[in-house]
Amino acid sequence: MPRRKDIKKVLMIGSGPIVIGQACEFDYSGSQACKALREEGYRTILVNSNPATIMTDPGMADVTYIEPLTVEVLTKIIAKERPDAILPTLGGQTGLNLAFFLMKQGVLKKYGVESIGSSVEAISCAEDRELFKKAMQEIGVDTPKSGIATTVKEGMKIGLDIGFPLILRPAYCLGGSGGAIAYNKEELETFLSKGLEISPVHQILVEQSVLGWKEIEFEVMRDCADNVIMITSMENVDPMGVHTGDSIVVAPAQTLTPEEYTNFVNLCKRIIRKIGISGGGANIQFGQNPDNGKIVIIEVNPRLSRSSALASKATGVPIARIATKLAIGLTLPEVMNQVTSKTTSFFEPTVDYCVFKICRFTFEKFPYAERVLNTSMKAVGEAMSIGRNFKEALQKGIRSIEIKRFGFGADGRDKITDEMLENPDSILLKQIKDKVSTPNDERLFYIRYALKAGLSIDEIYALSRIDRWFIDNMKQLVELEDKIKRYKNKKTEDEPSIPHELLAQAKADGFSDIQLAFLLNAKEEKVRQLRKKNNTKSVYKLVDTCAGEFNAKQPYFYSTQETKDEARPSKNKKVIILGGGPNRIGQGIEFDYCCCHAAYALKEEGIDSIMINCNPETVSTDYDTSDRLYFEPLTFEDIMNIIELEKPIGVIVQFGGQTPINLAVALREAGVNILGTSSESIDIAEDRKRFKHMIDKLGLLQPNSGTVFTFEEAQKVANNIGYPVLVRPSYVLGGRAMEIVYDAELLERFIKEAAEVSGEHPILIDKFLEDAIEVDVDLIGDGETFVIGGILEHIEQAGVHSGDAAMSLPTYTLSPDILKKIREATYRLAKELNVVGLMNVQYAVKDAKVYILEVNPRASRTVPLVSKVIGIPLAKLATKVMLGKKLKDLGFTEEIIPQYVAVKESVFPFNRFPGVDVMLGPEMKSTGEVMGIDMDFSSAYIKSQIAAGQKIPKKGNVFISVHDRDKRDVISIAKKLKDLGFNIFASSGTASVLEKNNIPAKVLPKITEGRPNVLDLMKDGKIQMVINTPSGRIPRQDEVKIRSQVILYNIPYTTTIFGAQATVSGIEMFMKKDLSVKSLQEYHKIKGKKVK
Amino acid sequence: MRAILVLEDGKSFNANSDLSAECFGEVILNTAVVGYQEMITDPTNAGKILVLTYPLIGNYGVAPKFNESNKIWVSGLVVKEKSRIYSNFQAKSSLSDFLKEKNALAIYNLDTRTLAVHLREKGPLFGIISTKEFDSRKLADKISQIKRQPAQTFLPEISVSKLKIIGKGKKLAVLDLGVTSGLLRQLEALGFSLNILPYNSNAKQILSIKPKGLIISSGPENDIGLARVAQNIKPLIGKLPMLGVVTGCQVLAVALGAGLSRLKLGHRGANYPLTRPGSFKGEITIQNHGYVIDHDALRKVKRLKVTACNLNDHTLEEIESKKLKLIGVQYNPVSAGFDQVNPILIKFNKLLGR
Repeated sequence: MPRRKDIKKVLMIGSGPIVIGQACEFDYSGSQACKALREEGYRTILVNSNPATIMTDPGMADVTYIEPLTVEVLTKIIAKERPDAILPTLGGQTGLNLAFFLMKQGVLKKYGVESIGSSVEAISCAEDRELFKKAMQEIGVDTPKSGIATTVKEGMKIGLDIGFPLILRPAYCLGGSGGAIAYNKEELETFLSKGLEISPVHQILVEQSVLGWKEIEFEVMRDCADNVIMITSMENVDPMGVHTGDSIVVAPAQTLTPEEYTNFVNLCKRIIRKIGISGGGANIQFGQNPDNGKIVIIEVNPRLSRSSALASKATGVPIARIATKLAIGLTLPEVMNQVTSKTTSFFEPTVDYCVFKICRFTFEKFPYAERVLNTSMKAVGEAMSIGRNFKEALQKGIRSIEIKRFGFGADGRDKITDEMLENPDSILLKQIKDKVSTPNDERLFYIRYALKAGLSIDEIYALSRIDRWFIDNMKQLVELEDKIKRYKNKKTEDEPSIPHELLAQAKADGFSDIQLAFLLNAKEEKVRQLRKKNNTKSVYKLVDTCAGEFNAKQPYFYSTQETKDEARPSKNKKVIILGGGPNRIGQGIEFDYCCCHAAYALKEEGIDSIMINCNPETVSTDYDTSDRLYFEPLTFEDIMNIIELEKPIGVIVQFGGQTPINLAVALREAGVNILGTSSESIDIAEDRKRFKHMIDKLGLLQPNSGTVFTFEEAQKVANNIGYPVLVRPSYVLGGRAMEIVYDAELLERFIKEAAEVSGEHPILIDKFLEDAIEVDVDLIGDGETFVIGGILEHIEQAGVHSGDAAMSLPTYTLSPDILKKIREATYRLAKELNVVGLMNVQYAVKDAKVYILEVNPRASRTVPLVSKVIGIPLAKLATKVMLGKKLKDLGFTEEIIPQYVAVKESVFPFNRFPGVDVMLGPEMKSTGEVMGIDMDFSSAYIKSQIAAGQKIPKKGNVFISVHDRDKRDVISIAKKLKDLGFNIFASSGTASVLEKNNIPAKVLPKITEGRPNVLDLMKDGKIQMVINTPSGRIPRQDEVKIRSQVILYNIPYTTTIFGAQATVSGIEMFMKKDLSVKSLQEYHKIKGKKVK
Repeated sequence: MRAILVLEDGKSFNANSDLSAECFGEVILNTAVVGYQEMITDPTNAGKILVLTYPLIGNYGVAPKFNESNKIWVSGLVVKEKSRIYSNFQAKSSLSDFLKEKNALAIYNLDTRTLAVHLREKGPLFGIISTKEFDSRKLADKISQIKRQPAQTFLPEISVSKLKIIGKGKKLAVLDLGVTSGLLRQLEALGFSLNILPYNSNAKQILSIKPKGLIISSGPENDIGLARVAQNIKPLIGKLPMLGVVTGCQVLAVALGAGLSRLKLGHRGANYPLTRPGSFKGEITIQNHGYVIDHDALRKVKRLKVTACNLNDHTLEEIESKKLKLIGVQYNPVSAGFDQVNPILIKFNKLLGR
C-alpha cells in the first residue's frame, strides 16, 4: 500500500544518554529511521538529549532538538512544531515511555498527534503485566504461573498448585532482596514466612521457576497488510536467569528442531497480532523447558531493541529502516532489500554462518559490586562475531570484547594454569564449580577450566544448565588446544613447527596467532610467518541475507578459513577506519560518531571507506555507512589480514578511541601508513617520560611528577613532590586504576593495581592539585594551521575524571588572561606534535597558573558535543585534513566562541550496582552523557541536570552534610536555598556552621545514633535533594549509605561543592522562568565570536 | 576418511566422510537452517546430492517421528560441519548414526559456501562424490558417462506398490509420487480416509475407489515416469477435485497442456515469499522445486487462475480453478506449527464438499 499522505511531519524521540540497557543501538535505529523518513519525503523533527549521537547531527533530521527528554519539554516541542505523528518505537524504553505519558496526559490528543509504528494500545498491552498476561491467555500462550500470597497458608496453596521449583519474591523489596528459590515443601514454608516478614506490605509473589530453561528470542516484523516475517531466531547460551542483555547469544538458534522452530514461529505470529503491532517490529522472548519442550512467554518488546540491532547486524536486514517504512503505511513487499537489491523485505533472511554476541562488563570499575549476573542487566557494551562454526565465532567474540583475552583461554593469560588443573585440589575444584554454576562474567573461562579439570559435559550441564551442544563445542576447543601443545617449542626463539593440517584446523576453529604462539611457545610474529608460508590465511565471506542464493550488491564481510575469498577488493583509492569496538566506560558512542564522520568525509573526497568494527549496536556497523564493512575483532592480527588484502592508502586510528591508538605503534612497525598525526607523536603523548621531556622543552607547566615501575620508586617520588599524589598507568582508558593517594600506605596498594593494568608501560605519579579548575581543549590541525574547536571548563574541581565531570562550553569563570595562556599552550603543543587531525589537551588551573595534565593526539569524548555546539563537523574536517587538505581551504581557521551555553553532564550506572558509593574520582564511572543548551549558564546547567535524570525540586527539604573544607563555601549555597523557600536539614557539624551564619537548619542524628535519621526521611520521601561532599579519602560508612540511598530513591544529589553551586543557581533560574526549547538549527543561526 | 566432490564442470571440493562409497546425482542447495532429517528422507530429493548451506548440521539429532519416509533418499549429503553430539530432548540418535544405519553417504568439512555460490552462478550441475577415486578429471568423465546412460525413474521404488489405506472418514485418493508423512499426517487430521495409490494408477483405477478427491503428491521432479502420470490423470480433469502438490502440481499443469521450465537455481529453502494478485498480503513458504510451470500455456485454460507468484522472480507458485475444482501448489503445504493443518489443505477440503 502506498505510504501515508495524511502525514507530513513526524516527531522522533531518541533514547537519551547511554546507560546500561540503552546504548548505541538506538542511535543506529534513530539514524536509520531519519534516513528512511526523509527518503519518503517527510519532514522530521528529532529530540534527544544525547549530543554524542549521529542522529542529532544537524542534517539527519530537518529539525533537531538537544533537550531533556521529559513530558514537559516534549509538550513544548510538540506545541511549537505541530507534528502529525510521533514515532516512538526507535528510542528504546525511554522513547516508548515518553510517548505513553504524552498520550496519558492528553498531549497527543490535544495537538492531534498520532502514534505510528506501535499504537498506544499495543504499547500498553506489551508493557502492562496484567494486560499482557490476559492477552497471552486469550491466545493460548503460557506465561510463567504465579500468584500473590499474604499468608503462609495461601502461599503454600499457590506454590503446590504451580509445582516446584518456585521463585519467591517479597513485594516492594528493592533490588530483589529477600528473593529465594524453593525446591520442596519445607523450603517453601520457611521462605514464605521469612519473605512475608521482610516485605513491608506483607505480600509475596510465588512464581513458577523457569531458571535454567532455554531462552529463545525471535525478531518479528509485521506490516499493515498482516504480513509477518521472522528476521531471525536467537538462542541465549546462558539459560534463563541471566538478563538477555548480559547473556551470550547465538543466532540462529542452534538446538531447535524444525517442529519446535515452527511452533515458535506460530506463537510469534499469534503474539504480534494480538499485541496489535501493525507497522513495525517486536522482539519476543520465550523460555523453553529443555526436558520436555514446554514453552512460556517471557516478554514482548513492541519496539526496536538491543536484540533487534543484533538481529539486524547478524542477518544484514536493516530492521529500523524497514520498521520505519512500515510505520508510514508501506508493506513489506514494497520495501526493497538494499543488501541483495534483488529481493524485497518480504523475505526471511537465512544465514550460512554462526553469529555470536558477547557482552562487555566493567566490574573492575566497581570493586565493591558483587560480580554475578542475574535478571538486572549489568553489561555496558557488546561485541558480535561471525564464524563458519560456533567455535570460530566464540573465539573471535572473546577477542572482540577487548578484555585482553585472545580467544577461549590458552593465550597465556589464564588465571588457572594447566599445571594446576592437571591435579586440581578440592578447593580449586569447588571454586571452579561455583563459578560455573553461578552466572558471572568469567563463566566461559571457568567452563574451560572445568573441562580441563576433567568434569564431564553432563556435570557442567548440571551445574550451569548451558546446553550440552555449546559445552561440547567448547570441549572440542580444549581438545584441539591439547593437540597443538604437543608441538610446543623448547625455546621461545625457535621456529614454530606444527603440521599443516593441524594449523589449518586451529585457524578454522578460531585460534588466534597469540594463542598459537602461547601454545607452541613461539613468537606471535613467527606464527604469522609460518601461516603465510603454509598459505593458511583468512578469507572473507559475506553477510548477504540469503546464504548465497543471490549475488548481493551491498553485503558486508567476516573472516573465516575457507577455500575462496569473496571480498574482491576494488582498485579504488581507499582508507581503513578502525572503530572503537564494544562500548565500555571510557569509550563509547562519541568515538563511533567520529568514525562515521570519517566515512562520510571519505565519501565526499571520492575515496572508498573501509570500516573495521565489531560492535553491533553502532551506526558505524550499518551496511550503508561505509563503502565496505568488515565485522571483525580489533586486534593486530585481524586488522593486518584486512590491510594486506585491501591495501589501503592509509589507516585512521584517531577516531576509535584508545583501542586503535594502542595499535598504532605495532601497525606502523608492520609498515602500515597511519594517517594524520604520526605514530611517533602519538607515542610521545602516551609515554609519560617522553611527554615530560617535551613539556620541559616547550617551557610549559606540568604538576610535579615522576615515572616509576615499582613501589619503592613511587615512594621516593611521592616524598619528593609531596602528597596528595595522583597515580596513573599509561596507555589506559577512562582513568582505569587512577587514584588520588594521600599517604604511603595507600600508595603501595594502588601502585600494585596500576602496575597490573599498565603492563610493560611505566606508571606516572603526579602532584595532585587540590581545588584546581580543570579545562578540556579540543583542537584540529593540518600541520600548518591549528584551530581550537572548543575550550570546556569543568564544573567539578580537579580530581574528577574528565569523562565524569560536567563541563561548560564556553568557559564560565576563567579570566581572559588564563584563557590566553591556555590557547598559547595548546597551539605550542599542537605545533610540537605536528598535529594532523584532532588533539585534546586537559589542563588544571590553580593560582593563575595553567598546568598541563594530559595530551591525547586523537579525537576526544567531547568532539561530537563541540561540533554540534559550534556547528562545525570537526571529525569530518579532521579526516579531510588527514588526506592532505588544508584548513584554510576547508574554511575553518578561527576558534568560534558561541554566544549561548552548552553544558555536558554525565550519567552513571550506580543504580545497577546496589550499595556502591556514588562519589566521583579520577577513575571514570559514567556510561553516557547529556547536553543542556540555552542562552545562559544556569538554564543550560539545569537542563543538563534534568536531562541526566535528576528530579530538580522547586520546593521541599534539602539535606546538607559537607566536608570541613567545604563548610565555608556551603554557607552561600544554603542561604540561597533558604531564600528560595527550601527547608534545610543538616548533619550536626554542617548545621552548627549554618546556625552561626543565621541559617536555621534542622539537625539530623548520625545513622547509628538515632532515628528518624536522614535514611528514614529519604525513604519517606521527605528529602528532595542531597548535598554531600566526601569527608576524605576513606569515606565514612554513613556517607556511603546516604549516597547509595539517593540512587535507590532517585533523589537529586551532588557530591561536589561546585556542582552544588551550579545546581542551586540553576534551581533559582528554573523557578523564575520555564524552560524554553530551541532547535540546534536555530542556535546555529546565532553567530559566534571568532578568535584568531 | 578423505572424500571428494567433483562437479560436471570439473570443479572439485575436498571433504571427509565416515563411509567408504561413491555416489552420483544432481547437486542441489537448500538454504533452510533446520530440517536436515526431513530433507534427506523426502522422496522428492531422491537421487540428489543435497548441499545444506547452513554450516552446523546434526545439532538436534534425529527422531523417527520426523522422517518424511522410512528411507534416506538423497544419494549424498554435503555439509560444512557435522555435529559431534546432539542435544534435544526428542532426539533418539545422532545424525551420524542415522546415516550409518541407513548406509547413506554424507561428506563434511568442505567449503559449502563456495560450492553454493558456484552452483548459483553455473546453474544445475551433476556431481559425484567419491572416497575411492580422487582424480577429478576421471570423476568428471564418469559423470558424463552416467549422464549418457538412459535416465532411470525413481517412481516404482518410491511409490506404494498397491493400494494402502490409512485413517477413517471421507475417502480421499492420494496418488503417491513420493508422498511425505508430513502431508499424510495433516490430511489424516482433517478426517480423511486416505487411499494411497501407486504412481501408475490410471483414471479408471482411481475413480473405482470412489474418492471425494485426489491428491497428486510431491515427488522427484523431471522423472521420466511423470509423463505417463500426466496422461493417466488427464481424463480426471473436471471430473474429480484434485490438489497437486509441487511435482503433483507440475503433473497437473502438464495434463492441462502447460510446459515446464527449469530454474537456474531452484527454490529450495524455508524463506520463499508468495504474493497474490491484487493483494498486499502474501506468505512465506517452504519450497523445494527446481522446475516452474510456464504461465502462457496455462492462460489458455479457461477459468483457471494463477493465485500466487513468487515475489522474487515472479514465477508461478499456486493455481486454482473453482470450476474444474483444481488446486495446484508449488510450495510445500506444511503445518504452521502445533499440528495445524495448512490452509490450502483446508481449502481443498472445502472444495470437496460434504
